[in-house]
Amino acid sequence: MTLKLMAAMAVSLATFAFQSRADVIKVGVIAPMSGPFSAVGQTWEGATKAYQKLNGTTAGGHTIEVIYRDLPEINPAQAKALAQELIIKEGAQYIAGLYFTPDTLAVAALAQEAKVPVVIFNASTSSLLEKSDYLLRTSYTLPQMAVPVAKYALEKNVKNVVSLVSDFGPGLDAEKAFNTAFVAGGGKVLEAIRAPLKTTDFGPLMQRVKALKPDALYVFGPGGPATYAMVKAYNEAGLRAAGVRFLGTGETDEDQLRAIGPELLGIETGMFYSATHNSPLNKAAVNALTEVTPKAIPTVQLANAFDGLHVIYHMVKATDGKRDGPKAMAAAKGFSWESPRGPVKIDPASREFVQNVYMRVVEKDAAGRFVNREFRTFEMQPDYGRIQNATK
Amino acid sequence: MSVALLSSILVDGITYAMILFMITVGLSMTMGLMRVVNLAHGAFAMLGGFLAASIPQRLGVPIGLGFVLAIAIVALVAVLFERILLRRFYRRDDLDQMLVTIGLMFVATAAVNLMFGSSVTSVALPEAFGGSVDLGFRSIPRHRLIVVACGLAVVGVLWLSVDRSSFGIRVRAAVDNAPIARAIGIDTTRIYAATFAIGAALAALGGIAGAEMLPMEPTYASKYLVILLAVVAVGGNGNLFGSFFAALLLGIVETSMKYMVPQLASAAFFLTMIIVLLVRPQGLFGRQA
Amino acid sequence: MSAVIPPMAMATPARVRPWKQLRAEIVLTLAGLLAFVVFPQDLGLLTNMATMSIFALSLSLVLGQAGIATLGQAALYGAGAYVAGWTALYLTSDPIIGLLLGGLGGGLIALLSGAVMLRSTKLTLVMLTIAVAQLLLELANWARWLTGGDDGLAGFEVAPLFGIWEFNFMGHTGYFYALGALVLMFFLVRNLVESPFGLTARAIRQDPGRVQALGGRVYLHLLAVYTVGGVVAGLAGALTAQTSKVANLFMLDFTTSAGVVVMIVLGGTRRLAGAVLGTVAYMTIHHIASTLNPYHWLFVIGSMLIVVLIVLPEGLIGLLDRAVAYAKRLGGSGGTR
Repeated sequence: MTLKLMAAMAVSLATFAFQSRADVIKVGVIAPMSGPFSAVGQTWEGATKAYQKLNGTTAGGHTIEVIYRDLPEINPAQAKALAQELIIKEGAQYIAGLYFTPDTLAVAALAQEAKVPVVIFNASTSSLLEKSDYLLRTSYTLPQMAVPVAKYALEKNVKNVVSLVSDFGPGLDAEKAFNTAFVAGGGKVLEAIRAPLKTTDFGPLMQRVKALKPDALYVFGPGGPATYAMVKAYNEAGLRAAGVRFLGTGETDEDQLRAIGPELLGIETGMFYSATHNSPLNKAAVNALTEVTPKAIPTVQLANAFDGLHVIYHMVKATDGKRDGPKAMAAAKGFSWESPRGPVKIDPASREFVQNVYMRVVEKDAAGRFVNREFRTFEMQPDYGRIQNATK
Repeated sequence: MSVALLSSILVDGITYAMILFMITVGLSMTMGLMRVVNLAHGAFAMLGGFLAASIPQRLGVPIGLGFVLAIAIVALVAVLFERILLRRFYRRDDLDQMLVTIGLMFVATAAVNLMFGSSVTSVALPEAFGGSVDLGFRSIPRHRLIVVACGLAVVGVLWLSVDRSSFGIRVRAAVDNAPIARAIGIDTTRIYAATFAIGAALAALGGIAGAEMLPMEPTYASKYLVILLAVVAVGGNGNLFGSFFAALLLGIVETSMKYMVPQLASAAFFLTMIIVLLVRPQGLFGRQA
Repeated sequence: MSAVIPPMAMATPARVRPWKQLRAEIVLTLAGLLAFVVFPQDLGLLTNMATMSIFALSLSLVLGQAGIATLGQAALYGAGAYVAGWTALYLTSDPIIGLLLGGLGGGLIALLSGAVMLRSTKLTLVMLTIAVAQLLLELANWARWLTGGDDGLAGFEVAPLFGIWEFNFMGHTGYFYALGALVLMFFLVRNLVESPFGLTARAIRQDPGRVQALGGRVYLHLLAVYTVGGVVAGLAGALTAQTSKVANLFMLDFTTSAGVVVMIVLGGTRRLAGAVLGTVAYMTIHHIASTLNPYHWLFVIGSMLIVVLIVLPEGLIGLLDRAVAYAKRLGGSGGTR
């Protein structure tokens, strides 16, 4: 049976190799195209189209075809089946996308066996990259964002803080990283509150924060209704009026700005991308996105997918379009380039994504729209989560 | 436990409870009256919320009028649903009824997704409802007080118009013994349709009022379904005060846990439900089956 | 005495030739092999269909045969998945052991929860099953250190099946493993359903009072059926965890329970074959609808459910039965009736 299996594999791989010399290289993106997170899938699709509009559809002479498969919710069995289908049926050389961590874990096991590079467009749990040698990430991790925010807070003379995070992987990563860095800098954490993921009523929690009277509130929410509720509760509990600084990460992402703009005015966040980042490349990317997918909003997902495809183009060039996982990964390690978000690099040892983290504040621009204005840059921040874990 | 904490729990718990009550009282009435389990009930609340969010903008009418229109449209949709679809299932198995309403819930979710997009939508409230009221030990958003007032008003109106009016008597006659009720000239068909419409209208009101705590999104109907069913089950079908007290009980339990041990708030909610149902399977105020 | 026997044909006595008895299993095996040959690149999907079919079988037993209305079967499925994951992580990566322990896990949860719930009936019972499943979900989420919480349980290895066949990314072993389990479970469950145990369950569904009056112990019998259902669901969960190498909270979710109920209704609640047919139909339509236009999947499945309920209450299997009967009539003489 094993001999037959190996023969079958050899034949399939040979066929695929032949296909690639015929010059179409497929990139299989697993994305939430329907369901509550469909806006993400839409932005990714727009971003990859925008990238190909600006940079052409070929890399090193090979045509790159991006195909999408829908995974609207957390369903690891489905994620694995889709990855399998993309690799075996569609002959994809690269897998990309992946919004949720559990789905990514299922695909990681597959990637390791099949030696197929996987570029994660979102899933932000720190320990993910350790699960396979073939994983790359062009999004972010929470520790990467949280540590600079802690440093900023210390710079601004914030003496004590309450942290409020959603009770799941990234939230806990954020809490740990922020609190550790803040305390190391001489600050005091009054309380670390964890909100259940489904919470939509933050009134009680904000009242608790108010009673503790911190200088600042460090927050991490999962986006969508929870973040909206969190910000509203913060405002309604009078915390802003009481002078409690709101320090966050992704709460003011561009789609939130459009949904609840006025509530977010004045809020400071530390994040890796703002649609109004002042660079020609970013302007071109945002414009291209609006042209190819008018409905898509230029959120951080634009930068994620855009850069993800760029890495794939690089790997294709490095392997001359041949299916060679280890060679592709070797090429990706240490690769650095200019992204719409700023300068970025893939760490040669940990494969982690190194990028600038900007402190931004929500303001109204000249046209009356709500934007994140970057006012302080922390340069080339590594994934502090891996570092903190490694030093244990 | 300090007085401030206790009063906070009461204030937030009661608000949450009023929202739950308004959304579920219609479901309780329908289940008690027609013995139909309408799992798509949350869809009425969702539709009401989405319409209320978009009508004032799209038609350019004042927000209050927009709310009224939203509720009216939902009542109409409910009557259509009852006439065209649900009626066929009155004689069928409980499970079949639940399933057809699940099917409806899926269709409603897809329809809302198509019409209003897939992201969270906020319902703009009239200016007068905004801002905070300072109660001394803490401040509370003005519109939460309005929600509580609304809930109390609903209880009052329903009690007067259903429990104590001739309509109410006819409704209860139809519940107790439909064939005989029909024999003495009570039009059960009209009563079913009317009750369903009222239930849906109340759900829409609850959805609009609660949109701040339970934000509007296409997955609203399935997301909160379990919570809605819990309130009805605990209160007992068809009982107005049952619904009210069940909502209070569950709302306050969950809110207290949110203040004290947030991770177990949901677990506490369901544990309470299980305990009540085991001790009194017909619900707090339900009649013995 | 004839009043006790439900108005349906009795199972034919054991004088029938063995391969005729195994008709359904043979068809299932052949269909599975055919699928492998015709769709060799869709093994991921096919494996999931097989594991879901086993899950649907458990529900068909519990709901279709014994009439226990439950919207919380996912609790047992998820329990099996996590137990299989823990087995692979801490005990042994042998898949068969993980599978059996997963089944036991599902059965245990079913026994414990059923003991408490099954005293209630109808609507209260449905609500309790939902509540118990939700409670389990919340506890699993809270016990992060044990279950991995929201991220799920992963990183466990699955040893080669019987020490020979490796589970690799091509998915062959996984598929045959799941298919084999499906055929075996179908055989076992079918025999259970056709035995006196199964007959009693059906009798209880139709009229519990009568069974009670005749000296049957309704509560204990239902508990037994529910526990067996839990074992089967647990096995399905274990299989899913082993073939996808992840166990996560979604497996305990209400939408998973509701999904499998929809599957057996589509296929036909009263027949085990309906469970398999419904699952395959549901997942096939989902696959096609997703590739064409993901947004409208809910429309499709919602409308299909409504249509089936109104027009085709016996489910798709009823359609199949009619087609087969029609073909028989065309093909030859009248047959035994």
